[in-house]
Amino acid sequence: MEKLGISYQAILPETILSLVAIAIMMIDAFARRIERKVAGAISLIGLLAAGAALLSLWGKNGETSYSGMIVTDDFRLFFGLIFILVAILILLISLRWVEDEKLPKGEYFALLLFATTGMLLMSAANDLVMIFLGLEITSIATYVLCGYRRNDLRSNESAVKYFILGSYSTAFLLYGIAMLYGASYRATATPVATTNLTLLKERIATGQIYSYEMLFAGAALMLVGFGFKIAAAPFHVWSPDVYEGAPTPITALLSTGSKASAFAAFARVFVLTFALAPVAMNSSGVPGNFQTTITNVLIVMAILTMTIGNFVAMVQTNIKRMLAYSSIAHAGYALVGLAAGDWSSVAFYMLGYVVINIGAFAIIEVIARRGDKRTEISDYAGIGFKSLGLATALSLFLLSLAGIPLTAGFMSKLLVFKSAWAAGANNKFFYYLVVIGVINSAVSWYYYLRVIVAMFFSDSTVEFKAPIISRSLATGLIIAILGTLYLGILPGNILNALERARDRIAMKK
Amino acid sequence: MESYLLTIITILPLVGVLALIIIGRGAPPNENNLKWTALIFSLATFVISIVMLIGFKPAGGLQFDTNKEWISAFQLGVRYHLAVDGLSLWLVLLTTFIVPVALIASWHSIHSRLREYLVCILALETGMIGVFVAQDMFLFYLFWEVMLVPMYLLIGVWGGERRIYAAIKFVIYTVVGSLLMLAGIIALYYMHGGATGNFTFDIAAITKDLGAGVFVLTEEQQRWLFWAFALAFLIKVPLFPFHTWLPDAHVEAPTAGSVILAGVLLKMGTYGLMRFNLPMFPKASHAYAALICTLAVIGIIYGALVAMVQPDMKKLVAYSSVSHLGFVVLGIFSFTEQGMQGALYQMLNHGVSTGALFILVGMVYDRRHTRMIAEYGGLANVMPVYSALFLVVTLSSIALPLLNGFVGEFLILVGTFTSQQLPYAKAFASFASLGMILSAVYMLWMYQRVIYGEVNNEENKRLTDINGRERLVLAPLIMLIFVMGIYPTYFLARSSHAINVIKNFVNPTSFAKTQDNHQVAQTADRSGQEEKPGK
Repeated sequence: MEKLGISYQAILPETILSLVAIAIMMIDAFARRIERKVAGAISLIGLLAAGAALLSLWGKNGETSYSGMIVTDDFRLFFGLIFILVAILILLISLRWVEDEKLPKGEYFALLLFATTGMLLMSAANDLVMIFLGLEITSIATYVLCGYRRNDLRSNESAVKYFILGSYSTAFLLYGIAMLYGASYRATATPVATTNLTLLKERIATGQIYSYEMLFAGAALMLVGFGFKIAAAPFHVWSPDVYEGAPTPITALLSTGSKASAFAAFARVFVLTFALAPVAMNSSGVPGNFQTTITNVLIVMAILTMTIGNFVAMVQTNIKRMLAYSSIAHAGYALVGLAAGDWSSVAFYMLGYVVINIGAFAIIEVIARRGDKRTEISDYAGIGFKSLGLATALSLFLLSLAGIPLTAGFMSKLLVFKSAWAAGANNKFFYYLVVIGVINSAVSWYYYLRVIVAMFFSDSTVEFKAPIISRSLATGLIIAILGTLYLGILPGNILNALERARDRIAMKK
Repeated sequence: MESYLLTIITILPLVGVLALIIIGRGAPPNENNLKWTALIFSLATFVISIVMLIGFKPAGGLQFDTNKEWISAFQLGVRYHLAVDGLSLWLVLLTTFIVPVALIASWHSIHSRLREYLVCILALETGMIGVFVAQDMFLFYLFWEVMLVPMYLLIGVWGGERRIYAAIKFVIYTVVGSLLMLAGIIALYYMHGGATGNFTFDIAAITKDLGAGVFVLTEEQQRWLFWAFALAFLIKVPLFPFHTWLPDAHVEAPTAGSVILAGVLLKMGTYGLMRFNLPMFPKASHAYAALICTLAVIGIIYGALVAMVQPDMKKLVAYSSVSHLGFVVLGIFSFTEQGMQGALYQMLNHGVSTGALFILVGMVYDRRHTRMIAEYGGLANVMPVYSALFLVVTLSSIALPLLNGFVGEFLILVGTFTSQQLPYAKAFASFASLGMILSAVYMLWMYQRVIYGEVNNEENKRLTDINGRERLVLAPLIMLIFVMGIYPTYFLARSSHAINVIKNFVNPTSFAKTQDNHQVAQTADRSGQEEKPGK
């Protein structure tokens, strides 16, 4: 573990993205004015290259490099590809938007790529410090993006709120890391204390822990930090304001990419390191039932998150705000899978959620028009038959979020509930968790349907002209629609790959 | 043997949807082309389902099997498994029969967004057929849920004044039930997989393992699972006190929607009870039979009493559905062959008669745009043919001998009365008979007020009698009313095998067998034998 292990290949995807981002900024600075299409094309190529670089890492089963800071395993690849997909989709739906909003183009693409770099690092991290690094890169980029529409008060409010609360929660995370570092202290071992996840895992599993109080405290503080990033109750209060105020494509990025990357790090630490597996707990005499306690806390958190998200979403009148609460609820469903100790179901959940949600936000962006003006649900009244294609697509996404079969939303919900039920054999609370989750899904139908009611059942109250859809946005939408259906109807290939990945990582131990 | 017949029947309406979308692209689309396309596709589906009926072997179990692997990762074991037995067969036929009838019945009543309307109806048809032919729980759930969307749109877009309220109520009620069923499905799948090592959603396989005692549920587990499934189905039926969504949905839905809702959708609930609850959870079924039958009898009488005082014809018919479906539930939980055969028969009857009633109400509604009984009176003078046909349907609904309703209700009452398994069977049967009398009261009273007497309302004097298209719609329904009343053997012979299979699973004598088998299984396990004990 002490060997340095420098491998340029292992960080190739992140390197490519950073270089491309820097290049865009440079071109923008020196060439005075960069064409949106040029910047977009360069970013897209960069993202595709990073995706290819990720794929070239296929088959390196858990190889670590840079003193064990970076790990290359299926977990990283799977989440990494999700982030690349998110970035590509966001790029496609915002290519025209940046121009229409008359926003600085160069920085926009650069920041998007930096955010993606951070996400990729989070999924590749095998060290708490690395996770922190990735998280900060993503966060700083998204803080700026939230306030990107400088002259809009809501956008400013969103950025400031996100920044202050985000920094605050990062402090928690950092404090948690410090505590874990202390907890891993062992005078006879080398190194004496560690933030490396592989070592940490060994020490927790074998009970070589300096202080369980510190371990608990560290885990609890990290839980707060991650809970903030994924917007889980009771750390969710920032997200509706931030989501509502941020420019719509950025809201899409926050609710999908940021959330998925936080889930990746969350799962890496809590599932893979703390070994929150439903089976084989405590085989080597860890006192105090560390895993069981954490699991129970996660269960409570999942219940709170789902319930608060869904019930508050019911009374929202702004569609972005409603989807913010819906996003909280979905974090709750994914937490169900996380609590059950099955990272593969969380990964599939994120994949499905990302595709659906970006699709939904793309349509909201189009309908909102310049300056995010029309985002009230009442603005959607009667547009169903005037813009049938858009309305049908939005209905598909909303129904998929509600979990209708044949779409990604159903398959991903099924998987997390299935994992939770399997975990019920060891912890009876999981049975209740599934039932509560299911009731929550039923509640969620109400508010998703409200939008469909507005679109199709109500008469239009405001003037509405079918919007013009740019070619890039249409491409993004089509990818989202096909993805939603593909993951719902023929999930076989991806599920098989995920199952193999899960087994391989479980075998490696 | 693989057969693609059921796939074709299920998919064909969906192909119609595609055709409609393609045809409807030109603006403005020709209304007639759209209507005929939809009609042709639904008629073709009906014709192919007749082919299925002809090829159906009465003594065979599940037929026209299609069984393909779909999702196998994570031990999901989801299969694309379609098949019909005597139970599904008739409900599929009912569906494929009702849809074209509903289409013709609403030929001139829909003008706005015709293409989307027809798309919804055809999509709905695929969903309904899918529910009846799916032999895999996952697939069943899929059709069950997906079907909600077109029905929701039908009520919400083309419905009456309170359509939004009705549509949302309909969906939320159904979704609450069906998501609990989803939890039940996941649980059952896990328990079965854990006990047998065979992770599958296959309905027949799980039922068989349960019956053979290879897979044993404790009584507590049975109770939980029973309610997880039963709630979904009882809401759909709907059994008192879950019925409140029904009158709203019926009243607000357009005629074709009401016909399909009453004709087919409600039967998905009773079908589910017969497909899942009875054969899979026999002990819990017996334990709760008295409770459910009490609710059913309350529903029969309550529905009839409420129907009696309705001023709105459509609402009256809607409440009569609550009453009629109570009979079906009673028949199912009598656990006798007659009772269950009667229940199935009554499902078909209700589809035909109530469908016809909604169409008849729709016909005068199209002319006068009101459904209030008080607005009518003396229609016999101006619409003689209409009045005669209305009479036949009314009599069928109140179970006059030689008409279809009689066969079903008679079988149900006999089955319930003679049931050995159902506690207080005789009391249930007696109270249910009271419901029959009440049904005569409210139906005949409505008939009298609408049809007989003098034409007092000026507007009714100019009403025209039903035209050729309307006669064409009613003709097959009236014919079926007679055929099913006079020659029920044809129908019952084809369902009897499936009903007997269910009866054997739910029968108390099979408990002893289950326990024996369980012991056999244990001995077999102990002696290291690999073969599973046969039935």
